[in-house]
This record gives sequence, C-alpha cells and structure tokens, in this order.
Amino acid sequence: MASNSSDKIIDHGNYVPTPVPSRPVAASGLRPYSAAAKREWTQPWPDAATAAPEAVFVDEGEFKEVYLQTPVPANFVVGAGAKLDVTIVVLPGITANIPVTVDITGPEAEVNLKGLYLCSGTDEVTFDVTVHHRVQGCVSHQLFNGLASGSAKCAFFGKIIVAPDAQRTEAYQENHNIVLSDQAKVNTKPQLEIYADDVRCSHGATVGKLNEDEQFYMRSRGIPEGEARVLQMISFVAPVLDGLEDEGLATRIEAAIRSLADR
Amino acid sequence: MDRKEEDKIIEGITSQEYKEGFVTDIRQDFIPKGLNEDIIRTISSLKQEPSWLLEFRLDAFRKWQQMEMPRWGHLDLPEIDYQDIIYYAAPKRDEDRPKEIDPKLEETFEKLGIPVREREALAGVVAVDAVFDSVSVATTFRASLAEKGIIFCSFSEAVREHPDLVRKYLASVVPSGDNFFAALNSAVFSDGSFCYIPKGVKCPMELSSYFRINAAGTGQFERTLIVADEGSSLSYMEGCTAPMRDENQLHAAVVEIIVEKDADVKYSTVQNWYPGDAQGRGGILNLVTKRGICKGSGSHLSWTQVETGSAITWKYPSTILKGDYSSSEFYSVAVTNNCQQADTGTKMIHIGRGTKSRIVSKGISAGKSQNSYRGLVRMNAGAEGARNYSQCDSLLIGSRCGAHTFPDILSYNPTAIVEHEATTSKISDEQLFYCNQRGLDAEDAVGLIVNGYAHEVLSRLPMEFAVEATKLLQVSLEGSVG
Repeated sequence: MASNSSDKIIDHGNYVPTPVPSRPVAASGLRPYSAAAKREWTQPWPDAATAAPEAVFVDEGEFKEVYLQTPVPANFVVGAGAKLDVTIVVLPGITANIPVTVDITGPEAEVNLKGLYLCSGTDEVTFDVTVHHRVQGCVSHQLFNGLASGSAKCAFFGKIIVAPDAQRTEAYQENHNIVLSDQAKVNTKPQLEIYADDVRCSHGATVGKLNEDEQFYMRSRGIPEGEARVLQMISFVAPVLDGLEDEGLATRIEAAIRSLADR
Repeated sequence: MDRKEEDKIIEGITSQEYKEGFVTDIRQDFIPKGLNEDIIRTISSLKQEPSWLLEFRLDAFRKWQQMEMPRWGHLDLPEIDYQDIIYYAAPKRDEDRPKEIDPKLEETFEKLGIPVREREALAGVVAVDAVFDSVSVATTFRASLAEKGIIFCSFSEAVREHPDLVRKYLASVVPSGDNFFAALNSAVFSDGSFCYIPKGVKCPMELSSYFRINAAGTGQFERTLIVADEGSSLSYMEGCTAPMRDENQLHAAVVEIIVEKDADVKYSTVQNWYPGDAQGRGGILNLVTKRGICKGSGSHLSWTQVETGSAITWKYPSTILKGDYSSSEFYSVAVTNNCQQADTGTKMIHIGRGTKSRIVSKGISAGKSQNSYRGLVRMNAGAEGARNYSQCDSLLIGSRCGAHTFPDILSYNPTAIVEHEATTSKISDEQLFYCNQRGLDAEDAVGLIVNGYAHEVLSRLPMEFAVEATKLLQVSLEGSVG
C-alpha cells in the first residue's frame, strides 16, 4: 500500500475556488436587464444554456428584481456593501432547469434569494443554487418553497460555500415542499461546505403534506375543504412573497394556486 | 499561561495521544501478498470452508474486477494498491496447547481493556468476540448464551456449525456486488462475528466484537452478520484499534443486520482506529459498508456511532425500513483532528407504511481536518404516513478545518413527512469566557463544551462505551486549542 510522504497536503477535501465570472469591458456599476430579456415567457422555459443572460454585477446600492416566468441570469456578483434581493417565481406549466450562482466578492454585502415554484401536470422544475461567500462579514438568506401536484417533479439543489477567509459569515438556507398528489416527486439536496470557523450557517429542508388538523379547524368553521386547502397553500407561499408589493403578481399566484387545488 | 509553557503542554499531549498504538510481537502466519483467485482459494481452504462459500467469494471477486474505485466522497483518498496487501494474517497456534489462548494475545487484549476470559465487567456481563487480524481468538460466554438458544461465535465457526443460517442470511442485506468495497470484502473476508437471537429471546447480556489490526502490510476484512428473530432483542457493541504505522492500512468490513417482526436491535460502535500522526502520515482507511433491514412489522434498529479514529472514514450505516410501522434511529458523533477526513452519515429507505426514522449527527472538526455528513432519506411511493426527522450539527474548532453537509431527500409519497435541519458554528467566545471565569483552562473548557454538544448521542451508548467515548473525545481534541 502506498505510504504517504511527509509533506502530504490534503487538497481535494480543501477549498477549491471556482472562478468569478469576468466582467464585460464596458460595464460599470449596475447592469440591469435589457427590456427584451425581461419579456415574459409563455412557452416552456428553454434550456439553461440559451436562457441564461450574462452575469449581473451589483457593485453598490441595492438590486431588487422579481423574475416571474422570465429567464434568470446564471450569475450574480455582489460587491462590497451591496445588496441583492432576488425573487424567482415559477408558475405551473413550465419545465425548467434554473441554475443560479451568487458570488459575494466584497465584504459587508447582503444577499436575499427567494424562490417559489408551483408545479402541476408533468412539469419538471430544478433549481440549482450556489451561494459562494468568498469574503468576510457577509450575510445571505435563502428561502425556496414549492408545491408539487399532478405527476410533477421538483428538485432543489442548494449549496452554501464559505471560503477559508470568509470569517463572520452568516448564511441561512430554507427549502420547504408540499407534495399534493400520489405521483408528484420531490428531491431536495441542501448542502453546506464550510472552510472558515467563525460562521453561523444553517439549512433546513422539509417535505410534507397539508396539515389535516388545520383543514379540520377551517371546515368546522364553515370553510369548504377546497377553500381551506387554497388558504393553506397561500399561507405556505406567503413568506417568499413578503416584502413584494405587486398586486398583479399576487393575483396571478393566487390563480395558479387555485388551479393546483382544483386538481 | 505563556507561550512556551503552552507549547510544552500541547507537545506532551500530542506525543501520548494514541495509547493503543503498540504492536504485539507474536509469531504469525501470513499468506503471500496480492489478490487473485488463488489467494481467495487459499483463504477459503485455510478456513476449511464449504464449496458454496468459495463460489460466493469467487463470484464476488469477478464482480469486483469489473468495478471501479468510487471517487465521489469529499475525501482525498490515497491510491490503494490492492496487490500490495496481505489478505490473511493469523497468530500461530501453539501446537502443545491448541485449545488455549496465547498468553501474549491475552495480554494484548487485557492491555486494551477487553476481557477475553469470562468475568464480570464494569456494569454487568459483556460477551466478547475478539478478532486479531484475520481470525477470532476468543468468544466468551458462549455456553451460557447457548442455554437460551443464542448463537454467538466467530464467523468461521458459524459457517462450520450453522451453515444453513449463514447461507440463508449472508449477503441478503448487502449483496456481494453492492459496491466496490463490499465486493472486495465478499471476496476476501476473513473473520468476524455471527449472532443469532431466536424467537422471543431477550439477550441477557451485551454482545460485543473487538477488532484489532496488528500485522504490518495487512488489511482487515471482517464480516459481521446479526440476525434477530421475531420478538427478540439485542444490544451489540463494536470496538477497534490498530498500531501506529507510517503507512495506511485498509479496513473494509461489511456488517449486515436482519431484524424480524417486533425485534429490537441496538448496534453501537466506538471506532478508534489509528488516525495517523499530526502530519497526516499513516492511519487506517476505514471504508465500511454497514446496513440493516427492518424486515418485519414493528421491528426496530438503532445505530449509535462514535467516530474518533481512522485517517479516512467513509461509511454510511443504513436501514431499509421494509416492515410496516418499523422504526430506525441513527445517532453519530464524528470527531476529526489533524489531517483526518470523514465522510459519514446514514441512509434511511422507507418502504413500509407508517415507518419512522430519526437522524442525529454531530460533527466536530479541528486542526486541518475535513468532516462531512452525507445522508439519504427516501420515501418510497408505498411509505404511507412515513416520518423522518434529521438534525446535523457541525462544530468547528480552529480556522483551517472544514465542515460540510450533503443531505439528499427524496419523497415519492404525499403523506410522508421529512424534516432536515443543519447548523454549523464554532464554540462561542462567551461559552469559553464563562468556563475560564470559573477556573477551567481552555482545554478543559472545550472538552466540557464538546461533551455537552455530543451528549444527546453519548447518552445513547451502553454504559461501558459511554465512559470510553467520553474519554476518547477528550483525547482526540487535545492539542487543538491554544
């Protein structure tokens, strides 16, 4: 058996930094989307390769965006003191693979990443989220909630990476799923890779069903079962939509939830 | 405390850290290095095995030859030359006294605190099967266990005396082609323990296996098979140590547990293989497949493990919850220090209705070590009303170590509920300050905090083990603060 030399370095297990996307030459400051890219998709979501617009660089201030039925940029690069607040909403009828990587390259930055996926029929939605803390003193929050009905397949792969020097990092991730039908499938892989010690990191993932006690409570007060289920689902998705004041969006999500409940 | 004094204390501790690292000087029989069908035939004939078992071994070997070494672990695995390992080493039998245990062997186990003669242990009686390299040297309390119908003996004896039972259950949970290391083990396995608890019998004492690697250049490939028949109950413990060497030694075991209807098995491990020195030289590569099946309804299997040793630990004690309303638990504390690496966790496969599982994993990493939790919870379509709760916490000591969590949750049933949570943090300065204020130095304070952190798991261990595990935690982390 091979014996180890004295200068053995464990490198595979150790941190391997992936490259940060390079910045286009002309770009400076905030690069919001072109109107064309923001056009709504009614067709099934195209492949990740064709859908992914260029990286978004947030150097200062706050970048706040809701991606509803639109392609999501594959990379966000967040600089010192900047704030990223992104919400991704996937409505029923869409099959999509959504890779999102957030690189935090400047200290004291804040990232808020939220997602909501409502899947029905034969939808297959996969989120592949990486939040990479490269520098110290940053905070990131992730919250992804999903409902799966019909024979939909939902997958959430989420990873938090904390680099060796990224001390005082706070990174939190939550993923909750509700399976509404016998054929629906949910797969969740929340992952933590941590190479610094002064950190507070946590993740939580749940897969479950609508609570029957709650249904009973509402039904015994005269709310029909269907309506009770809708109310439960609305309250399940509400935390993701907190802080958004878009009436139109709320109406559309409610309609989508009702369509799930009908099935 | 000034710097010099502190260094001296740390140095003193690191030089005495692994007290089981001695070598027993004893005459041993070896077979030649290397792995081929002839070697497997030699092992089989040395053990006077029936032809079906030789066929089983050869079949596994042919499967193994088709397989590739897995690389997906979060580990830096050294290249293993499978032709450079001695697959069988046994202490020479004294021709004049063939029935007795060699006094040197007895002394070795005595030194390790393992009674190979029947006597009262700390908290009652423990039956021991002591395995030295490739053979079992003693199994205690066999007669008194046999009165109750319990079979507890070495694997080789079981093959000779209870071939029907062995043949029925061998590889029924871990098939020979299950994975690379299980296939290797199935081809070359030497000794291990066999245990059968008949219907309705509650095992009156703790059963335990103790594994010791002694010879250089060898690997240990033990095989443990535990069968708990209807309504029986058993608590089983496993311990292990090895000498300090500059080379890696391979340990690739397979443990299979079959739990029938309403039976209850508790399997505890305190793994203390030689972890290598502070520079990462040497140490045992602990690549083990452990799996149990809750076959009948209402059966219960509980895994408890304390992992402090080994240069590399790569194992996932798993449960297949097949019987309706069966349940399983996994409690783990994994400690890595210096250059140790661990990628460990569990798999809970829910097949039956109303099955329940609970996972509590506590990782502690110090020095330059990497400690990963990896787990699978799978709710099959038929797992009506199944329930899982997982909790994985990581504690980081020092800024050069890593702690990682890779759970995988699959749910194919709308009535199943799965919950997973994980946290990673370090020992807070407030906690340390509080202890320091009350007169505890940094090292004692860390020991106290770590023990409190791991308490939920340690409290599940049988009494003898809990004491040992608490001490081990302390030793493993010594030198990591300062």
